[in-house]
Amino acid sequence: MASAVAEVHEHTHYTTTGLDNRKVAIWAFIGSECMLFMSLISTYLIYKGKSIVGPFPHEAWTDPSGHVFKPILNIPVTSQSTFVLLMSSLVMVLALAAVENRGKPGYQGTLLGNSKLWLAATAALGATFLGYQAYEFTSFVHEGLTIHTNLFGSSFFTLTGFHGAHVTAGVLWLLTLLSIDIKRGLTPKDALLVDICALYWHFVDVVWIAIFTLVYLIK
Amino acid sequence: MPRKRSRRLSSALILMAGALVVAACGEKYPNSTFTHLTDFNTIIDGLWNRLLLLGTIVFVFVETLLIFTIIKFRRREGAPDPKQTHGNTTLEITWTIIPALILVLIAVPTVDAIWKTEAKASDSSIQVQVIGHQWWWEFRYPQYGFTTANELYLPAGRTVNFQLNSRDVIHSFWTPQLGGKRDVIANRTNYIWYTPDSSLAGSVFNGFCTEYCGSSHANMRFHVYAVSPADFDSWAAHQKENAAMSPIVAPAPAAPATPAAAVKVASAATKPAAPAATKPAAPVAAMPASEGYVFPLAKMPPHTLPQTPFPVGDREVKFDESLLAGGDAARGHELVSNMAHMGDVPCLTCHIIKGEYMVAGKQMFTDDNAKAPNLTHFATRHTFAGGIYPATPAMLARWVKNAEHMKPGSLMTTLGNGEYAPSMKSKRTTGLDDRQIADIVAYLLSLK
Amino acid sequence: MATTAATPSYEQTGIWSWITTVDHKRIGALYLYTALFFFMFGGLEAGVIRWQLAQPNQHIVSAELYNQLFTMHGTTMIFLAVMPLSAAFFNFLIPLQIGARDVAFPRLNAFSYWVYVLGGTFMTLPIFFNTAPNGGWFGYAPLTTLPFSSGLNIDFWVMGLQILGISSLAAAFNFITTIINMRAPGMTLMRMPVFTWMSFVVQFLLVLAFPVITIALVFLLFDRFFGTNFYEIAAGADPLLWQHLFWVFGHPEVYILILPAFGLVSEILPTFSRKPLFGYNVVVYSGIMIGFLGFGVWAHHMFAVGMGATADTIFALTTMLIGIPTGVKIFNWIATMWGGQIRFTAAMKFAIGLIALFTIGGISGVMHSSPPADLQQTDTYFVVAHFHYVLFGGSIMGIFGGIYFYYPKITGRYMSEVLGTWHFWCTFIAMNLTFFPMHFSGMLGMPRRIYTYDAGQGWDTFNLISSIGTGLLILSTLIFVVNFLKSRKSGEVAPGDAWGAGTLEWTIPSPPPDYNFAEIPFVTSRYPLWDLKHPERTSGIAHSAPDVMTITDAHATPVHEEMGHKTAAELGIPMPFNTVKPLIAAAALVAMFGGLLFMHTNQFAVAMTITIGSASLFVGTLYAWLTSPLE
Repeated sequence: MASAVAEVHEHTHYTTTGLDNRKVAIWAFIGSECMLFMSLISTYLIYKGKSIVGPFPHEAWTDPSGHVFKPILNIPVTSQSTFVLLMSSLVMVLALAAVENRGKPGYQGTLLGNSKLWLAATAALGATFLGYQAYEFTSFVHEGLTIHTNLFGSSFFTLTGFHGAHVTAGVLWLLTLLSIDIKRGLTPKDALLVDICALYWHFVDVVWIAIFTLVYLIK
Repeated sequence: MPRKRSRRLSSALILMAGALVVAACGEKYPNSTFTHLTDFNTIIDGLWNRLLLLGTIVFVFVETLLIFTIIKFRRREGAPDPKQTHGNTTLEITWTIIPALILVLIAVPTVDAIWKTEAKASDSSIQVQVIGHQWWWEFRYPQYGFTTANELYLPAGRTVNFQLNSRDVIHSFWTPQLGGKRDVIANRTNYIWYTPDSSLAGSVFNGFCTEYCGSSHANMRFHVYAVSPADFDSWAAHQKENAAMSPIVAPAPAAPATPAAAVKVASAATKPAAPAATKPAAPVAAMPASEGYVFPLAKMPPHTLPQTPFPVGDREVKFDESLLAGGDAARGHELVSNMAHMGDVPCLTCHIIKGEYMVAGKQMFTDDNAKAPNLTHFATRHTFAGGIYPATPAMLARWVKNAEHMKPGSLMTTLGNGEYAPSMKSKRTTGLDDRQIADIVAYLLSLK
Repeated sequence: MATTAATPSYEQTGIWSWITTVDHKRIGALYLYTALFFFMFGGLEAGVIRWQLAQPNQHIVSAELYNQLFTMHGTTMIFLAVMPLSAAFFNFLIPLQIGARDVAFPRLNAFSYWVYVLGGTFMTLPIFFNTAPNGGWFGYAPLTTLPFSSGLNIDFWVMGLQILGISSLAAAFNFITTIINMRAPGMTLMRMPVFTWMSFVVQFLLVLAFPVITIALVFLLFDRFFGTNFYEIAAGADPLLWQHLFWVFGHPEVYILILPAFGLVSEILPTFSRKPLFGYNVVVYSGIMIGFLGFGVWAHHMFAVGMGATADTIFALTTMLIGIPTGVKIFNWIATMWGGQIRFTAAMKFAIGLIALFTIGGISGVMHSSPPADLQQTDTYFVVAHFHYVLFGGSIMGIFGGIYFYYPKITGRYMSEVLGTWHFWCTFIAMNLTFFPMHFSGMLGMPRRIYTYDAGQGWDTFNLISSIGTGLLILSTLIFVVNFLKSRKSGEVAPGDAWGAGTLEWTIPSPPPDYNFAEIPFVTSRYPLWDLKHPERTSGIAHSAPDVMTITDAHATPVHEEMGHKTAAELGIPMPFNTVKPLIAAAALVAMFGGLLFMHTNQFAVAMTITIGSASLFVGTLYAWLTSPLE
């Protein structure tokens, strides 16, 4: 087999910009994803405060039978998961650096050059974030907020669920890279593979910052 | 070689265009939007005239220029290569600025008209709540306290402010001759207002739903009667009264005590109730005191009279019309108004007939939970079913028998025994026979 | 040169080679054939619609079927005919025009096509079972939500559009990358042929507009299948949410449909006027302006919803603004012909037809931009007239022109000019006969989307004329079909430079060899072939050669006419392997959506089996695809 991962052209392959096609494509893809999340976030904001029944994100609600629902969002817990996701971006940078600089002084055989470790750590942090989200979703359901409950429930779960799906795809992508790294070792020639994954990962991270600010922090 | 042929073809085109103009001129345009019958339409028509004038100028200019260019610069055999040009900044600026100036000429009156027509209606205007349903119109006159359907009366010369809401999907309220349209949307209140000219008293206009709203979107029409203020008052005063034959309003001991109990009756009465006869029809009230003005049928021009043909093919509704002459309004009243018949004659679980189905002196259903047109003064209307049928006995009988066949998607269920009910995908094995339907029709037509 | 008979266009033959092809030219041809098929299907739907409306109170079809027909006519023409017809040209032309051997991601390209054809079939078949989508191409909620549309009809629509969106997005990423990254040395952005430029703008519109409708459809899908409340009136939902999301997509969509036709016309007019395009820069910038402003005018579709005077004013003004760059284009096209030596080929007739007819659509468009006036026009036949002048008079005329123009390049043979002339005049007359009377019937009070109407409303004559016109339109399309099929076998053989045009695609043989360019050319001006053959035509524009490093890097040679018919192997050009994986992935994707339908027939287990099974197949194929070498 020519290469374990296809569409790897020789580096001498001429392109107009000198960039690899995949790098250009991932930017176009990210542009598209921006509109996707903008639509989701706008819908959430448009429906904010429009729900007829609770529970609500930031206010308590008493249902007709007198049962009191607490404000649903748990900002301290989500702050932790946000921190975890932010850290994963940092580790992602280390993973990319490790692959790009393989064999260079300071990287050869050092902790910094251990791309497997950093890739695994990024995936693990991503998985931790997903764990937090799973916990958050279950506890909301226990507190009486489902995707059916009200406009808030529908738009909240869809928005954060979409983001969670993106993180899941990212974790799978990272694990794929990790398995390649374990099987044959990623070399500076493969840096692009890690690079485009990193771009995607940082994008997903930035989107979460927007969601965390607009959905959780702003009342 | 293609030139000769294309000339022949273009002369054919001109001929056809001429034929089009001639054919179109012979016709009358009863729904034309180019009217000055209201203040609103006068504003729009003023705008339209400017748009049409500027549009025509641009059209003639561009097309002339185009035709001139392709004729003048057509290729000539053996001619040398043309003089080459690549662009011209002055020209580019010119044909950017001139369209921009033309657009300014449109924008200024446009903005002016937006703010004029979307201003708040004057406080003295008559209020009409328009509620869109699949596929009929509910009209409420909150200042007078009554509700009607599919036919709208407006006092000529007075501003009318429509408040628009929908109970289901999005509809759009439009009377082309009187003004622009406005969408009718659930969870959202829209307004539109206009003043029919006082000279319009005694005219009738067609109205349409103009937002696609499902199967019978084409069948969601209405009529607007512009009448003199005196006639309007007479009509309104009568519409407020209870229905003919309805029990005299007094605490009704025979009726279930609470609305909840009544609902139970409604749900229990799915099979024909045997003891129906034990509760005789309540004493018939005298006809309402005032006769009330009704727009005379004779004054309705042909284009306002619905022409929907009877459904054909597998949707045909057969009815023995000879029975209609023998229809008995009192028997019909008993069928419709006695809660014991609710299973087979569930009219009043969706419709309201003011004075019927009273529970503790109150109407069992209110306008807000009634699902179908208010029938209190049904016989004062000339059309029904979203304005698509004239209110004649033959039409009404078939409607009562199988409304689902009479109007695609109709939410009124099939009532005739042995009729195929599309919504249930089966033939009914219970229900009304033709004689009972004739009685009900007679009753409906007594609801003056 | 014209003595060489058109050789078989491709080195491989047989059905399997088409199913597994990743060649952009073959995929372009597949798009063309498929989209023309859907175009005719949509046309027949229109034929039934006009038959029903030819006279008042007719019973040709039931109300239910009529509603399915007008929904599918719109959906078919927009998503299954005009967009893919444009995609046929994107595929075939963009690599040829920029001097590339293929698109950036050949297999992704095949995937886009297969998703389109399977998704299109998925949406079209239900019409034969009376369960086709019936909510209008605009699918306004809450009509399309479960309480008001409980059948499978809308499900087919939601899933179908979702599937087609994936196809369009994948193609758009591909073409953006191709145009940014695969241009031959010296092919700077401002030297790109205008068709490639307009396509470039369209790809950005696709990338930015489609995610919005994707989300709108996800909400609807969730509402219908998982009980969310996005459009649920009872939960307090705002029915305008759908409309805003839909038109944020829907208006750019209009430019997605029209800009490729503008691009084609900008190629045809200079060629047959023997003059370069007048004001190239302005034409390009106005295209970009149109695309950009296209995102700021969506609410002019909603002037009747009661947005309030401020919003109406803003959207009226932005809408008027967009008329300026559009008008500028028209004047530049006329100026291109001005002083030229105009040759009236069929392609040229259609291009001129576009200018003449689109102008009418543009003028009526300005009429809607005035909200109070629009309150009398919107949702009437006046609007139907308007957008058919834009989409038929604009897009379709441009695309027909493009087909006549590029047919020799695609097949190696010319289409018959005699039949082409007949086709043009019949179409031109029939088109006006069909759509011009609609201006009148609309302003005289006829609402849209009604399956029947009473006599004597003032609409009878106009409707009859429109219906006669539609009959003629169907006949004229038949002339085209005959021409298209006949010329394939017996058309006059075309040389590489079939029309004396100036751009790169004409420097190579017709039909082009698999590898397009035996040697990648480097470009020194906007009209490289005219530089070679008619230097006087390009003497007034800037020339500059790319730097030597770039030329060496790309192994490029000066622009020259290629005549040879060597195989890729003989030339040592690596070609992508054929593969069936894109088709499998596409089929899995469509099955994944289709499986959900069983949820509405209460077969939850079946639904989950199919959906999860197909999803796994999709992911598995994707892995297999990504780990197998391209060439």
